[in-house]
Amino acid sequence: MFVEYPTRPVFSGPGRERTEGYLALLAERTRPVSSSQTRLLPVLPPLVGLFPDGSLRRGSTIVVSGLTLAGGSDPSGGGISLALSLLAAASGAGSWCALVGLPGLGAVAAHDMGLDLERLAVVPHPGAAWAEVAAALIDGVDLVVLCPPFPPRPVMARRLVARTRERRAVLVVVPGRSGWPEHPDMHLSVSDMHWDGAGTGDGYLQRRRMTVTATGRRSAIRPRHHHLWMPSTTGTVEEADAGIDVAAQAVADPTART
Amino acid sequence: MNRLLVVRCPDLLDEDENGAALRSFVKVVDAVESYCPWITTVRPGICFLPARGPARYFGGEGPLARLVADAISDITTVEVGVADGLFAAVLAARSGLVVPAGGTPGFLAPFPVGILGRPELAELLARLGIRTVGDFAALPESHVLGRFGADGVACHLVAGGRSGELGDLCRPVAGRRVGQQRAVGRQAGAVVGEPGFWGGVSDTDARAGRALAAVQDLIGPDGVVTARLQGGRGPAQRARFTTWNAGESRVDTSLGAPWPGRIPSPAPAVVHPAPLLAELADAHGQPVSVSGRGLLTAVPRRLSVEQHPWSTVTAWAGPWPSDERWWSRSRRRGARLQAVTGSDAHLLLVERGRWWVEATYG
Repeated sequence: MFVEYPTRPVFSGPGRERTEGYLALLAERTRPVSSSQTRLLPVLPPLVGLFPDGSLRRGSTIVVSGLTLAGGSDPSGGGISLALSLLAAASGAGSWCALVGLPGLGAVAAHDMGLDLERLAVVPHPGAAWAEVAAALIDGVDLVVLCPPFPPRPVMARRLVARTRERRAVLVVVPGRSGWPEHPDMHLSVSDMHWDGAGTGDGYLQRRRMTVTATGRRSAIRPRHHHLWMPSTTGTVEEADAGIDVAAQAVADPTART
Repeated sequence: MNRLLVVRCPDLLDEDENGAALRSFVKVVDAVESYCPWITTVRPGICFLPARGPARYFGGEGPLARLVADAISDITTVEVGVADGLFAAVLAARSGLVVPAGGTPGFLAPFPVGILGRPELAELLARLGIRTVGDFAALPESHVLGRFGADGVACHLVAGGRSGELGDLCRPVAGRRVGQQRAVGRQAGAVVGEPGFWGGVSDTDARAGRALAAVQDLIGPDGVVTARLQGGRGPAQRARFTTWNAGESRVDTSLGAPWPGRIPSPAPAVVHPAPLLAELADAHGQPVSVSGRGLLTAVPRRLSVEQHPWSTVTAWAGPWPSDERWWSRSRRRGARLQAVTGSDAHLLLVERGRWWVEATYG
């Protein structure tokens, strides 16, 4: 009749890293609002392993590059989802976020990912003044996602990076085809994307598996690979096991049958 | 903003030692309550009630104001006024006026800025040559935010007749004691501006507000938007983007309602502001469409978006028919289809034989 509950949290074994991530997230969430005094901004527990500090370091610039296919019409290739996921935990903890140069934000996806839409400002069409707009936002917003509408000149990029460091913000650049001429503090790239759920007319898109490779500077220069469900079936991020989907891919591919 | 009728008793504004003023005010409130049960006490000597319903019943706002004034005149001297929002209605009561609906900004304009109850703000504005509420209301909101912060914006909204009251006007100074005596005290709960975690506007919010106002100065006020969720079937209908406005509190209210026919979660990360024209073809290059019975006419194998080269469709789901506004002339019949091309995935919409990319799971 009675269900036995563990009386103490378990701090050993494979769940430990995740537990610590949740605790860090909880500690950050119980703050009233994140003040600019804190050195780090939280990330969702499945993303903790991507960062040397386990969180976003204020003043840093992160470049997120999605998978671009020849002939693909999607300019982001998973990059937008990944950029949104980086904001989610900090936004939930009270930080303001801004998106510059993304005309078609999927607000439902952002909300499902965990972003607080009340503290999210979107500048869909910054036009030629995109760099000035980004600079103004860096002054007052903790996390700024920038999709430059035009290829940035190196001087502009360097100025934005310097401003980000000075104002202790976090700049996430999704360069798309415009490119980014500066060497970032952290580079996240998406590979091996695969969708689950849809077949030959049956089912529906349920979740996407992707591999995210993180490379940083100095101590973090060695690439780290992480397998993630992004979005997961609930629209958030979950950790995925390494290499299980070759069989699933064959089933989902109708050309393999003919 | 609500039409409010304010009852102001100048002799009862200050409490006396033996509580006689407070007891008289309780009688006033009881007398007013015979006209409308939704009476709210602001502080000793001032209470208000929503005017719309009683005015309709008693034949207009003017007659209602006269009736209320007559009912109280036996107890004490009284001033009654009607206007939009509490701030303007209290001023209207002081002048014994019924300000017509929509006339509140014009009514407020000639008052000196000191009436807003912010001495520092009034002094600063006077030095800038802005002496009346009307002059203050005419300033662009982004400038007010940049210079005077969120509280300045709250005052600015009141000055322009766009907000009903200042944050601290409705705070019951001693209204609770009136309520205790009557055991019916209802406190005005309106909040001006966006409350931070501890009730005030937080430092983070103010800082972000200044940055966003700076962006609005750069590219125009419509350039900064915020998203709100609402009910709907397609991804584009489930979100609404509105121009960012300082001091406006945003509450999502319409999330709970179920929407039959909604595309299941996860939602696409990119919803194209204008759908992209697409072509869907079978293995022989023949166009694929959806029959009247909601079935695909052929197996889709190739997709081209906006005249880009063809990519192979590796999986798809649907089609799901979507028949919207079937009761009206703007009826839209179509179907939605999820198509995976390698690692990309799109939400397609077909209408009148044409395919569109509505959203991309970017």
